[in-house]
Amino acid sequence: MLSQNLIREALLKALSTGADYAEVYAEHTRQKSISLVSAKVDKIADAVISGVGIRIFKGTRCVAGSASSLDPAAVLACAARVADALSGTPESGSVILRERLFGDIHPVRIVPAGVENAVKIDYVREACLAAQNYSQEISQVTGGFLEVDHNILIATSEGLLATDRQIRTRVNIYAIASDGSENQTGGTAPGARKGLELFDDFDPKELGKKAAKQAVTMLHAGYINAGVMPVAIENGFGGVIFHEACGHSLEASGVALGQSQFCGKLGQQIANPKVTAIDDGTIPNAWGSMNIDDEGTPAQKKILIDKGILKTYMIDKLNGRRMGMESTGSSRRQSYEYVPTSRMTNTYIAAGEDEDKDIIASIEYGLYAKDMGGGSVNPVTGQFNFSVREGYVIRNGEICEPVRGASLVGKGSDIIMNIDMVGKNVERAQGMCGASSGSIPTDVGQPLIRVSSITVGGR
Amino acid sequence: MTYQEFKEAVICASDKLQVVDYELYYTESDSVSVETYKDEIKGYNTDSSMGICYRCIRDGKAGYASTENLTEEEAESLVLRALENAKSIESEEESFIHKKGDSYAVLTGNIVEEPSGSELTEAALALQRELYAVDSRVADGTQSYTAYGRSTYALYNSGGLDLEDKASYAVCAGLALVHEGDEMYDGSEDRDGSLSDFDLKEIASEAVEDAVSTIGAVSVPSGKYHVVFTGKAFAALLATYASVFSSEAAQKGMSLLSGREGEKIAADIVTITDDPFHEKSLVKRTFDGEGVATYKKNVIENGVLKTLLYNLTTAAKAGVKSTGNGQKASYSSPVSVSPFTFYLQPVDGSRDELLADAGSGICIKSVTGLHAGANPVTGDFSLLAAGYSFENGKRTKPVKNITVSGNFYTLLKEIERVGSDSEFIRASSGKYGASSVLVRNMTIAGE
Repeated sequence: MLSQNLIREALLKALSTGADYAEVYAEHTRQKSISLVSAKVDKIADAVISGVGIRIFKGTRCVAGSASSLDPAAVLACAARVADALSGTPESGSVILRERLFGDIHPVRIVPAGVENAVKIDYVREACLAAQNYSQEISQVTGGFLEVDHNILIATSEGLLATDRQIRTRVNIYAIASDGSENQTGGTAPGARKGLELFDDFDPKELGKKAAKQAVTMLHAGYINAGVMPVAIENGFGGVIFHEACGHSLEASGVALGQSQFCGKLGQQIANPKVTAIDDGTIPNAWGSMNIDDEGTPAQKKILIDKGILKTYMIDKLNGRRMGMESTGSSRRQSYEYVPTSRMTNTYIAAGEDEDKDIIASIEYGLYAKDMGGGSVNPVTGQFNFSVREGYVIRNGEICEPVRGASLVGKGSDIIMNIDMVGKNVERAQGMCGASSGSIPTDVGQPLIRVSSITVGGR
Repeated sequence: MTYQEFKEAVICASDKLQVVDYELYYTESDSVSVETYKDEIKGYNTDSSMGICYRCIRDGKAGYASTENLTEEEAESLVLRALENAKSIESEEESFIHKKGDSYAVLTGNIVEEPSGSELTEAALALQRELYAVDSRVADGTQSYTAYGRSTYALYNSGGLDLEDKASYAVCAGLALVHEGDEMYDGSEDRDGSLSDFDLKEIASEAVEDAVSTIGAVSVPSGKYHVVFTGKAFAALLATYASVFSSEAAQKGMSLLSGREGEKIAADIVTITDDPFHEKSLVKRTFDGEGVATYKKNVIENGVLKTLLYNLTTAAKAGVKSTGNGQKASYSSPVSVSPFTFYLQPVDGSRDELLADAGSGICIKSVTGLHAGANPVTGDFSLLAAGYSFENGKRTKPVKNITVSGNFYTLLKEIERVGSDSEFIRASSGKYGASSVLVRNMTIAGE
């Protein structure tokens, strides 16, 4: 992407006003998305994203700049703009780059860009048709395909020079069921850090049916009575509860500034002893995985919470300076235009020892959240919320009729204490996580869990 | 290569590949932003971004390709990619390249004075000092931000259009963190416009008040309550449900407003307006993503759905004229439909009068989790909310950890009063505004 001479020159320029660290991040990304409406291709977006992001540190102060160009003049101009924000003299006059190869733990068999549109369209169309044909109540189906081929280069004044190519593919199917006056929706969106071999993992007809079945089920669902009750949350996307209730508050971006409910709690019990939670960027081909993070640190597997005890935060280099701690390979950015910070990768609650049937049987009256929508959290107060996409009432230990429109709200530090039963069967699901460094792919996951008490919003 | 040179190269490539109908959409922006922590500058960003989207029409179908890499080879590759994508499009709706002939508004007040980097830095540090000065409980973790940005939007097409809008603005925000006992509370306040117009003292005291007012907040028993939404809270709902007014969503069966133009869909006092030139707009726009002239229009007038929002494609399908709402989410996105500055028109009465009118209930100051807890297709919402309870029209205690549930389509009909106040919020696609709104008997989940 950039010549070594240019990188060295840019790093030296960036260091010229007294910074103690400089970093060049260059990116060339190809991204295509195809959307189908009523099983017909409706729109295709096809983008080349290309540019540079340069950062310098002086102590815990950070200056960052970006430019939508890899042209040498633009790269050097960006380095000069960044340097201009400090006014000092350079600490050292040379940078020696040593290229490092980290290897690829996420092999890709079929690079999507090399395959014509028709192959991708046919797969999504098959899923859409399966959804449409599922029931006469299905009034509309939309389908989507996304491919991203993200090439990055990271060079630092410490001499690191590393590159990575991150290919990911995702399909989404969204179905609407209608009775003429009311609509309900259902959806599914599997993805992986893979090429088109993703198609081998899922039968498109099953994806379509899954989305349609959820929409039809919800069309015939009533509303749950609002209140505080026990909730059983299913595996897979159910893991969004940990992501929101706890994960964001363990990111150094908030912790380093005292903006987290879990500041200063290392080594303390913050969760129920049944809870062990992990952030693992090394799972082969998982949606949130990588070889290196966006500062060039290799991806790691970290136990965040071990049997309820807080073991580590997720840390990037800059916030690590403020905290006096090493990076945990957690620095991520959507693109060169965003300033990287600590983020999650694939984050999940590890398998426990409870049987699923015992979890359901333990609830006299409550909610079974089979599939979750997204959520959000205020990491300062820990106040979080997320929506239940497919829910059922539990009565006398049995799953009964479906209910719609439920949402779960609470305070993160309370809720992770209330996770008092944890099943054995962990599954992960894919999401896009939004924060200051942009929208990035992350996996959430867990086995079936029981939250002994939580506020359920409904009607 | 400059944009002008790249544009010439794309025109040449289009001629060579015999593309007759095409368009180039170009955006460029520069920004500087400053972030403080304690009494120092924590971060300073200087960004320069640019992108170009090419759209061509083949047999009535639109093909898109975009790039940030301005080279000779990329110019031809851009045209080839767009042509390839056009061939894959199957939908029956026809796309168009808009021809010259509209009359475009002439903008005023779209450019503010440019502050220097040190003025932005000084303002951020000054705001930080003001925040700490408001209340002794203000703690480290409190942050101030200032930013200045300048944007250009240009559209050139084979129909003879060569348009450009320019805008610039400054933003200033305070995030207050307050410690009381073992708990932390946060609040924020921001302004946009011209840096020299910002009243830092006022921003600081409002941000701290936003945090302090939540101290001691409790939940309430689940049940039905009369609710007064503040303008900001209702504007957040409006932003989430703006897509139901899109003709594209309606034509695709994703809005329940399909086929309901001319019908009464809301209470008499409800008038909702889309105004691309509103004084609160961050960026005023004279043309949309297809080059159609923009204008102000009422979407709902006295409860009646006057029009949905249209682009050229959806307007042709419906047999009407485009409302100039053919917008792109970003320069690289295909044309869709969305409003500019979209707001509920104020009617009468202060928030206090609405509270008095309601008697007792809950005033909702914020709703969160809209991307998950509010569904534009069904209209259902169940949202985390915070605010305060009131009795006999008087504020009693702060409230948190509750959800407010309902259905947007039903809510429009149940609005009993709209106040005369007016608040605007920034969302990714533009600005949204509303006044205080009274709705009776809403479902609240709490304890």
